[in-house]
Amino acid sequence: MLLLCLAAGAIALLPLVLVLFYLLSEGLKAWSPAFLVSPPGGGVTTKGGGALNAIVGTLEMTGLGLAIAAPLGLAVALYVAEYREGRMAVVVRTAVDLVAGIPSIVIGLFVYSIVVVTMGHFSGYAGAIALSLIMLPIIARTSEEMFKIVPRQLREGTMALAMPRWRAIVSVYIPTVATGIVTGIVLAVSRAIGETAPLLFTALGSSFVVTDMNRPMSALPLYMFQNALNIGFPAAVQRAWAAALTLVAIVLLFNVLGRWLASRMLLKGR
Amino acid sequence: MTAETAPAPTDTPGAFIRQRRMSLGDPLLGWGVRILSWLAFLAIVVMLLDTALHSIKLLEHTSLWDFVTGTAWQPASLVYGALPFIYGTVVTSTIALLIAVPLALGAALLVNEYLPSRAATPVAYGIELLAAVPSVVYGFWGVIVLVPALRVLEEAVAGSPAGQFPLFSGPVPGPSYFAAGVILAIMILPIVTSVARDAMRATPRLQREGALALGATHWETIRHVVLPFARGGIFAGVILGLSRAIGETIAVLFVIGNQPQINASIFAPGYSLPSVIASEFAEANQPFHPEALIGLGVVLFVLSFAVNLLARGVVGRFEAHAGGADVR
Repeated sequence: MLLLCLAAGAIALLPLVLVLFYLLSEGLKAWSPAFLVSPPGGGVTTKGGGALNAIVGTLEMTGLGLAIAAPLGLAVALYVAEYREGRMAVVVRTAVDLVAGIPSIVIGLFVYSIVVVTMGHFSGYAGAIALSLIMLPIIARTSEEMFKIVPRQLREGTMALAMPRWRAIVSVYIPTVATGIVTGIVLAVSRAIGETAPLLFTALGSSFVVTDMNRPMSALPLYMFQNALNIGFPAAVQRAWAAALTLVAIVLLFNVLGRWLASRMLLKGR
Repeated sequence: MTAETAPAPTDTPGAFIRQRRMSLGDPLLGWGVRILSWLAFLAIVVMLLDTALHSIKLLEHTSLWDFVTGTAWQPASLVYGALPFIYGTVVTSTIALLIAVPLALGAALLVNEYLPSRAATPVAYGIELLAAVPSVVYGFWGVIVLVPALRVLEEAVAGSPAGQFPLFSGPVPGPSYFAAGVILAIMILPIVTSVARDAMRATPRLQREGALALGATHWETIRHVVLPFARGGIFAGVILGLSRAIGETIAVLFVIGNQPQINASIFAPGYSLPSVIASEFAEANQPFHPEALIGLGVVLFVLSFAVNLLARGVVGRFEAHAGGADVR
């Protein structure tokens, strides 16, 4: 049985090794610091060209998405965990949980049918809203779990001091679990940065460096996707590998950061 | 907030109450939280309804029954049948589960039961890292590395006596249901493994020691104590994996071959619900084509909603029994 389990473990790790191997060997060949700061070149046959458009798009859309999702997620968590207003809290929580289970491509369709159709065109705003819907349930859920683990003694302490509820939440509960909330946010961002599907028909993509979020925008996964589709063209494949390496590096960085924060949280909690 | 700056005399209990009543912060935070939550809720409901309304326009063209059971998808001649995509989603998810579940169980047992913690931690971490790789990277890697590698295997199987069965018959073009299933298996492996591990870890120590004290071997303990105890949690992990597999878009799009057809052979190219939406929606300009794709999105939504409902039921029961391992 040990042998079978060893085999299963080895096979389970094989894809990781292979993916990392190809990412490093192919990606490093195609990647250079210039990739991060130069605008994309011409068409699929033109060699070189960077991903500045995608990086600007990712920064802007993830940033705005987070600015929408973080307050909403925190509010939902407080509403469900602290205010606990009977049936309405359950309904709100169920709806947010429902969003967590929706395939990300369907989230893209939702945002298309309400934002893109209403505005009449694809835009960075629509992309940011789609990403915020990816992040919202993660942030709401982790923050809610965090408020649940605020020690009872602390709660009783705030009551004994006759603190108003808002004061207890703002000055005691939130600082106590801040690391956990930040962990949730970091994990949410790391998830959103890698998402392609919800951006396909919201942000659409663009081969220009666009800072105006009212226009179609690119993002790293989108940039990689569009280059990877042109698999017959070596130049596009090169760019796709470089984008893949950049993307995985960023996502892993956020992931490791999130885990590190989470482990600090555990240490503090015990 | 202004009330806080002017401290009232606090020598009587009544003073506390007066002070609390005057605090502006409570209604401010309370209503802020309420309004933001309701706003999020409202946005979700509006989006669901709006998308549903968009897809309903399709019914002017195709009846619901014809749409769900239609086997042909030819936007150029305005024929919209969803069955090839539903079939593709079901087949690829099934293959993914068949591959991922035994591997995940083996890996979970290895990490939890067999390896010393110094070796277990990196293995567990490595498997969890699989979940951090974005799906577009899997898709691209899949089409460049995995599909050619699997093709060799597929040719061998199709050429062997097993190829006589329609399920494994050739020709073998490369991109296929099978390749998509393998990619999905890799992608859902981490979630199934981690949920299974949490479930196994929740086995009460006393039961485990009791079995060992009765003379059971390590494997017998696993077989008769750990696995039965963790059954609910493992099932929950499998369902969560299934729900991921159903909704996965980009990785599948790269390796499934994108042919709207139903084929008995798992080595034949096909299509899945999410991947057809992703590849056709932006360029859908035939009458009712966008509506049909949104309709596919609704079918996908219903499918994943049903699976999530099932997962929630199972997880709820499991949590009630085992005292709550984290399954997220």
